[in-house]
Amino acid sequence: MEQELREIVRKLLEEGAIEYFIGYAEGFEPLHTTPCFIERGEQVQALVWSPLCPYNLARYLHQMKNGAGKVGLVVKGCDARAIVELVKGNQIQRERVVVVGIPCQGQVDLAKLEDAFEGVEAVEGKGDTFLVTVGEKVHSVEKERLLREKCFSCRHPISFEYDFVLGEMSPLVYGSESEFAMVEELERLPVEERRAFWRAQFERCIRCYACRDICYACYCQECIFESKAPRWLEKTTTPLDNQTYHLIRAWHMVGRCIDCGECERVCPVGIPLRRLYKKVEKEVEQLFDYRAGMRVEDLPPLVTFAAEEPALSSRQDRSER
Amino acid sequence: MIKKAHLTQWLDRVAQGYDLFGPVLDGVVQFERVNSSDQLVFDYANSVVPPKNLFLPQTECLFAFRREEGSIILEPRGGLERERVLFGIRPCDARSLLLLDEVFNSDLEDTYYQEKRRGTILIGLACPSPPQRTCFCTSLGIDPLSPEGVDVLLTDLGDRYLVEVTTEKGEELVGLSQELFFPSAEGEKLKGEKGKSLEEVGEKIGSLWEDGYWRELSRRCLGCGVCTYLCPTCHCFDLTDVGSTLSGKRFRCWDSCMFADFTRMAGGVNPRPTGKERVRQRYFDKFSYFPEQYGVLGCVGCGRCSQYCPMGIDIRTIINEVIARGAK
Repeated sequence: MEQELREIVRKLLEEGAIEYFIGYAEGFEPLHTTPCFIERGEQVQALVWSPLCPYNLARYLHQMKNGAGKVGLVVKGCDARAIVELVKGNQIQRERVVVVGIPCQGQVDLAKLEDAFEGVEAVEGKGDTFLVTVGEKVHSVEKERLLREKCFSCRHPISFEYDFVLGEMSPLVYGSESEFAMVEELERLPVEERRAFWRAQFERCIRCYACRDICYACYCQECIFESKAPRWLEKTTTPLDNQTYHLIRAWHMVGRCIDCGECERVCPVGIPLRRLYKKVEKEVEQLFDYRAGMRVEDLPPLVTFAAEEPALSSRQDRSER
Repeated sequence: MIKKAHLTQWLDRVAQGYDLFGPVLDGVVQFERVNSSDQLVFDYANSVVPPKNLFLPQTECLFAFRREEGSIILEPRGGLERERVLFGIRPCDARSLLLLDEVFNSDLEDTYYQEKRRGTILIGLACPSPPQRTCFCTSLGIDPLSPEGVDVLLTDLGDRYLVEVTTEKGEELVGLSQELFFPSAEGEKLKGEKGKSLEEVGEKIGSLWEDGYWRELSRRCLGCGVCTYLCPTCHCFDLTDVGSTLSGKRFRCWDSCMFADFTRMAGGVNPRPTGKERVRQRYFDKFSYFPEQYGVLGCVGCGRCSQYCPMGIDIRTIINEVIARGAK
């Protein structure tokens, strides 16, 4: 698959079809890949693919906003949702992006991998297992043991036109638990306990803004958290400030979060941000029967108005939920 | 020496006379105030947030102010109620405090920093083997088993710790539970291994101001604050007044040279307008400006920036690249 990808990219670059290509390259050690920008045909050897490629490269499309040329990139099924939303939000023009779909067979959760093995040299997906190479030995591990949480609710855009596809783009099917189970578990708690849960999480926040900066959807020219006049949020990291930060961000993700899970992956202090954004996703789905990232034609609920919004038509329905 | 089984007994004795801080599991491993040794974890590589936050808190109130009948009244804040003991600091972080001392105790003494620094006794814990995959202190001339910068260093020897006391304050702590300590047999001190030295990065980086590498690197960088906030030697802060012109508080809060607004001027001009300048700044600061001012590299090889970078950017790769590209 890697070879096929390299050939496509070499061709694109040599034909001048794109200015550069965004893909994955080897990182500083076997468990880390890193994004790479390929500008010339002879650089394509750097491109790699494995279950250790978590980065949603669509985030880097923010950089092409001011240019005029075309850019290519490789996307997993989940990352394609970001492209759908960037097109919807007029952040990119679809025809300026050459999208190479790569059939992802699930991504590995590094923490789970490190708990299970020491000195891992490579991981490869094979059917229902990951093949984990440690020294001379290759261990075959059931995928469910090592998958990232988000991969259990793998879901692609229903219709997305890739420019190239390296195999069949089909969602993984694992686990029977509802994707909102972790939200519902919290919803069942009394409100005080819920508040205490999130307060304890947000108290740890160091406001490094990695969750915002990695987000494909955070492309505002001036972020509310950087506005100096008016100043909405101070740099102080009191529990209230931190909560304000996270809740404002959650509101801003209404109808836009595609559940790529990158925010949670990059949080250095382990705040379970996917739970927060899954809650937002769940509300939007129930109120507006809408999911972000599925079809370019779908109208985001907060930029449209339906006189007879089905889920809003009856207050009773709402309170029963 | 002290038997492992007796360590908690000693620490609990310490906690009676001092405010005890140590590694706890609060979502991730953090140095926090504890009431008893039960709260501490002992099996950890290092904290996520470095212990600098105990000396330069991320958010620190410097004073409160209010206007009253034509004059302004200032109420100083800060100050320690009791002397503190920090248990479990690693040798790389202990070295980082020596570097921060240079910054905060140079021509002008930073009293907020210094009073916390002077009022804190450090019990270091030598590093476990093997190191984390991102550790590289030995390449910067730091010994992961060295008592440099701490008052007491404990080295794990299986069922007991070797105890090295280097200061009077350290003696005081050990003296609290003298009966738990016993003399060591000779030759039990382990020696740390030295890695490949990367120190020449400081001599090479100066030639690379205009190098294309910084732009290349900045394309991957998101400009978040992970590397700076988790860096034990990064110490930039911003001052901010919260309240009104009639009354309020002045805070100092961590700031990051990776943020676009870090150097934005009041008129809107930004001398570091793009990621390229900002990324370059961080590495020039570590490997050029810091050594120029204080005679030592501004990095201790803890590896947190590599470990937690959202995009897998690795400081060792950068150092090697600088050494390969640069000229003396």
